Amino acid sequence: MEGIFSNLAIGFIEVFKLQAITLGGMTMTLPFNILMCLIGVLLGTLIGVLPGIGPVATIAMLLPVTFNLAPIAALIMLAGIYYGAQYGGSTTAILINLPGESSSVVTCLDGYQMARQGRAGPALATAAIASFFAGCVSTLVVALFAPPLAEVALKFGPAEYTSLMVLGLVAAVVLASGSLIKAIAMVVLGLLLGLVGTDVNSGVLRFAFGISEMADGIGFVTVAMGMFGICEIIANLEQKEKREVFTSKVGSLMPTKEDFKRMIAPILRGTVLGSALGILPGGGALLASFGAYTLEKKVSKNSHQFGKGAIEGVAAPEAANNAGAQTSFIPLLTLGIPSNAVMALMIGAMMIQGIAPGPQVMTERPQLFWGMIASMWVGNLMLVILNLPLIGMWIKLLTVPYRILYPSILLFMAIGVFSISNQPFDCFLMACFGLLGYVCVKLGCEPAPLILGFILGPLMEENLRRAMLLSRGDPWVFISPSKPISMGFVIAAVLLLVIVALPALRKKREEVFVEET
Amino acid sequence: MKLKIKSQQDWWAGLMFIGFGLFFIVFSLGTPDFINNIVGTKLIGGYQMGSSVRMGPAYFPAVLGGMLAVLGLLVLLDSVVEDGPKVAKFHFRPLLFIAVSSLAFAYLLKPLGLVLASIALVFISAFGGHEFKWKEVAIMSVVLVIFSVLVFVKALSLPFPICPAFIDICPIR
Amino acid sequence: MLRLLLLVSLAGAANPAAAQTWPSKPVRLIVPYAPGGPVDISARLLAAKLQESLGQPVVPENRPGAGGNIGVELAAKSPPDGTTLVISAIATLAINPSLYPSLPYDPLKDLRHVTLLVQVPNVLIVTNDLPAKNVKELIALAKQRPGKLDFGSGSSGSTGHLAGEMFKMMTGTYMVHIPYKGSAPALADMMGGRIHLMFDNLASALPSIRSDKVRALATTTLKRSSFLPELPTLDESGLKGFDMSTWWGVSVAAKTPQTVVERLSADILKAMDAPDFKDRLRNIGSEAPAVRTPDQFTAFVTSELKIYTELVKRSGAKVD
Repeated sequence: MEGIFSNLAIGFIEVFKLQAITLGGMTMTLPFNILMCLIGVLLGTLIGVLPGIGPVATIAMLLPVTFNLAPIAALIMLAGIYYGAQYGGSTTAILINLPGESSSVVTCLDGYQMARQGRAGPALATAAIASFFAGCVSTLVVALFAPPLAEVALKFGPAEYTSLMVLGLVAAVVLASGSLIKAIAMVVLGLLLGLVGTDVNSGVLRFAFGISEMADGIGFVTVAMGMFGICEIIANLEQKEKREVFTSKVGSLMPTKEDFKRMIAPILRGTVLGSALGILPGGGALLASFGAYTLEKKVSKNSHQFGKGAIEGVAAPEAANNAGAQTSFIPLLTLGIPSNAVMALMIGAMMIQGIAPGPQVMTERPQLFWGMIASMWVGNLMLVILNLPLIGMWIKLLTVPYRILYPSILLFMAIGVFSISNQPFDCFLMACFGLLGYVCVKLGCEPAPLILGFILGPLMEENLRRAMLLSRGDPWVFISPSKPISMGFVIAAVLLLVIVALPALRKKREEVFVEET
Repeated sequence: MKLKIKSQQDWWAGLMFIGFGLFFIVFSLGTPDFINNIVGTKLIGGYQMGSSVRMGPAYFPAVLGGMLAVLGLLVLLDSVVEDGPKVAKFHFRPLLFIAVSSLAFAYLLKPLGLVLASIALVFISAFGGHEFKWKEVAIMSVVLVIFSVLVFVKALSLPFPICPAFIDICPIR
Repeated sequence: MLRLLLLVSLAGAANPAAAQTWPSKPVRLIVPYAPGGPVDISARLLAAKLQESLGQPVVPENRPGAGGNIGVELAAKSPPDGTTLVISAIATLAINPSLYPSLPYDPLKDLRHVTLLVQVPNVLIVTNDLPAKNVKELIALAKQRPGKLDFGSGSSGSTGHLAGEMFKMMTGTYMVHIPYKGSAPALADMMGGRIHLMFDNLASALPSIRSDKVRALATTTLKRSSFLPELPTLDESGLKGFDMSTWWGVSVAAKTPQTVVERLSADILKAMDAPDFKDRLRNIGSEAPAVRTPDQFTAFVTSELKIYTELVKRSGAKVD
């Protein structure tokens, strides 16, 4: 324990260190690292708010700039962009139902409903507070338990991932508030759409119909912008009368005492779940926010409010995704294995600077390692300080008439989607998914389960096939006693399925009885 | 006995799922032999099914497609048993204008540059709304163009051309 | 080939002013992969350097898709005025032509190869608990347990995969190929002890080798790597002539004037000789390539294309 304090002291000293910086011929003494952290979180918030522009593209673009910085300053800034984008992403999700990243899909569900009820302020504040708390706690987790947790992450092989994905898919069904069968069907449809593109195991191109732009599959952002963004705009425009989308009364900016009471437990549970799942390098962090939402919907006594603006439905997933964002640094820092595209870029940044990522960083370059961890706390604090006053501005944005708001949203979406691979085809696909989303809404099918299926589909197929290949075709690998983790997930999935299915069955039976009497 | 559709929503949703399910089955397994015999050629090739050890690329989508079709059938059956809501009216005007405006932007961006493409998007999409005020839309497009050039091209340095490709001399780049 | 060179030189002669005025407008550098990988990073470094020497903005543009083919096709078909450059790699120039049944470009006829930028050797790594301590023991083990050893790779048709196939062919062993999506998850499964070996590129494997999470047995190039000088090569270990590395460079459309190609090549080589740039390329695992001039690079691509066409055909790897 003592070691950790001295280590953190090293880190904080590094973060707040004053450095002589020569800028345009003038030499100034500045706390340079903290400034880079500020720039990082500001930029992160900006790209998080802009739909479609993700941290990966931004960090890649900034890499050459960072090579002229000291390694620590560069990494602090890049990390700031990453978790800053997580903060910013929830803002667009809540305000205009636009998930810019997979982790904010579930924030849309209740966050946007709160905004439409004039409670955008409390929703944004909840997101900021939840993210801040989760960020702080999970950074502590990184500082204290990184090496042992990395060992846990290595226990996850294809079989474990497959079972985890199955559990995730069952959980996806819970996201929907309407018909159970339709929700399952949407998950399966999402799984299928996710398979479009080059098959990882055989290299075969599937369902691309000779369109070379589809060879790498359909991007998540394209689907999310179409099914949520475009669809929402069309749905709002079809209202006959010129009714405004948002209630004109804005209400209070901050959550009420009641709200605070309701968000505490979900934030705690979300933080734990997010920290745990964030460690897994194969898409664990993706599941964090979905899992947290499902958990809350099942344990909350306000579960009937979910999907209609429940504050728990914002607090838990936001806490989970931010916690996951911090703990996803663990495989990078301890094993040198990137858990997602952003982490792969961080590795690139480290290598260019001549630092081999891996466990030796902690011992050979304590300033770098602990400085980065300390900077995460400082960055999270900056984000909450920045974001709480910004809420007022965001709310004002909602009072702008919708006829002005929607062309702007559409333009930003189009730019974002175009920038993914710099070709028009993605915008075409976005329009197609807008149409599909519109049809689905008309037919009473909700898009969220489809999106989760879409994200998990390729991961699940890849791992399932790899697990079968490694076990030489033994289907029992998933529940064999030699793989207790996998077995645990399968049991949890079955239990969850029963819990989900029972009320639906019971309801049916009750209805049958009502008709008979 | 005459089947009565009690839930229009579920009826169409069921059909949609069955359609998607069959689509993925056919495209992963290929067209069945009797159709190939009628047409005289293999219509859709399909992918390899493989074995359970080394699953082929067709394995997963074919199984899922089958699941989706069965689920669609269940929804369809449900629609003649249980009452449900009608399908709300489709509004084609906003649908059309929103889709066209994003396509116009996408296909104009490279040849005409960000400025003109953005203006096209704003104007076309504004037509899809309830009221269209020339002045308001014009002001809005100017503001948005300035904002996008500054933020996306200047600050985030996305590789977008600002001006049309045929104009060599452009005041800003 | 001769006719092509003639054509190119004629085009150059017809337009003698090209080199003086070129580039008259911003140059785009197409990166046919998603942002973030070592190829993308090196391209961005190069873009920054070229921008200084050319006096025009050099804008990296990511055009991912179809294993890089989309981006290379785009460059091959853009106007040959030297303002569209593309990062061309072993995958798009040497492997994909035989892996994909219909490639939208010909790597030799539709492109003019300017300079080889990066060359990274692959290393053969095994899990720590595998009893084999050197290549000989590994071959013996593979022969003793045919079909029991699993080797991972970053994707089907990657150099890691093909190196494994080459290894199998040269030693007459049978091992099961387990493809992953990138080498990071494959490395994780190796550390977890679920797959036994892989041929990974040196840059991504180096941290795990240095921290003893995996054991390196050999490099796949003829020369030992300067990063791991004590590590023998496969060639030394009995697999005579085993020589595979991952490489990428800069190419332009085939009809680009000779003068422009020469100027471009000179500028890129100048950047590559600059100490800061050299250091950074070395940090991503690149040994300074011996192939330098456009002619050398073209000859190199021609020979690699031949080798990999043969290898892909014999190993039976394919993409439909």
